[in-house]
Amino acid sequence: MTAAAVQEPITGLLDAATVLAVADDVWTSLVGDGEVLVPLPLPAPAETVSAWVQITGPWCGAVVVSCAEATAEALTGCLLRARPPAVLEPEDVEDALGELANVLGGNVKAVLPGPSALGLPQAGPNPPAARPGDLCRVDAQWRGQFLTITVQGATGAPHAERTR
Amino acid sequence: MRALVIDDSRAMRRIVGGILADLGYEVRPAGHGREALDVLEEGSRTGWLPDLACVDWNMPVMDGLQFVSAVRSNPAYRSMSLMMVTTESETGQIVRALAAGAHEYVIKPFTPDAMRDKLALLGLLPQAVAR
Ligand SMILES: [Mg+2]
Repeated sequence: MTAAAVQEPITGLLDAATVLAVADDVWTSLVGDGEVLVPLPLPAPAETVSAWVQITGPWCGAVVVSCAEATAEALTGCLLRARPPAVLEPEDVEDALGELANVLGGNVKAVLPGPSALGLPQAGPNPPAARPGDLCRVDAQWRGQFLTITVQGATGAPHAERTR
Repeated sequence: MRALVIDDSRAMRRIVGGILADLGYEVRPAGHGREALDVLEEGSRTGWLPDLACVDWNMPVMDGLQFVSAVRSNPAYRSMSLMMVTTESETGQIVRALAAGAHEYVIKPFTPDAMRDKLALLGLLPQAVAR
């Protein structure tokens, strides 16, 4: 295996503070003025929904946002505050959470080695699995509810073993 | 004034379309570049051609860069201003979009004021709301 084919764990490229700084910017501009993401962990709810985008380049992986369905609905309401639809449909919620993942993903991509391509957002209950030790995770609360943002290496990518 | 808002996210179409509508624009949405070209072809026949297109980059079917290239290769659309509105924020990507023919570039996330400032640079802020 050549050195170029081996992927460094995300923890060597990015830290949680950088991801949080990206998220803060996204929350302020997109979710709303004064809508703060508080970096304090909460227990995960029984069921969560997720949206994610894949990054493909010198580093391959995904940026995943997960929260409870009710939190995703509230986030959608914030995104669409100026032009709320008459009825909020499940597709609106999937789409809004997907666009949040897309904007987070694009801005995370910008601080990773490039050039890289960003995939189209996907949403559902089962985001791609993360490799243990190859993820950078922000455990946060928004309006007092559980929300996580994970930047994780692709499980299929060849990884450099961590040495100490 | 007329604007075409092209984004695969319905939320983003509402957000961008809402900002433009508040400024007095008549807005039409499209979910990807091919759909937007269809709107333009139809508009050529009916007399509805936009002054501005706000163009996302990453979309299915036809992406924003392909759309910009297609528009720039058609003299019938020469008067239309193209503003990329995208999460692609690396300098290399911005250069690619401008080289393909985009006039302005707004990076997501953005505020309504940031978009308004870019419209002012393009001379596309309606007189009634211009500062
Ligand atoms: Mg898009």
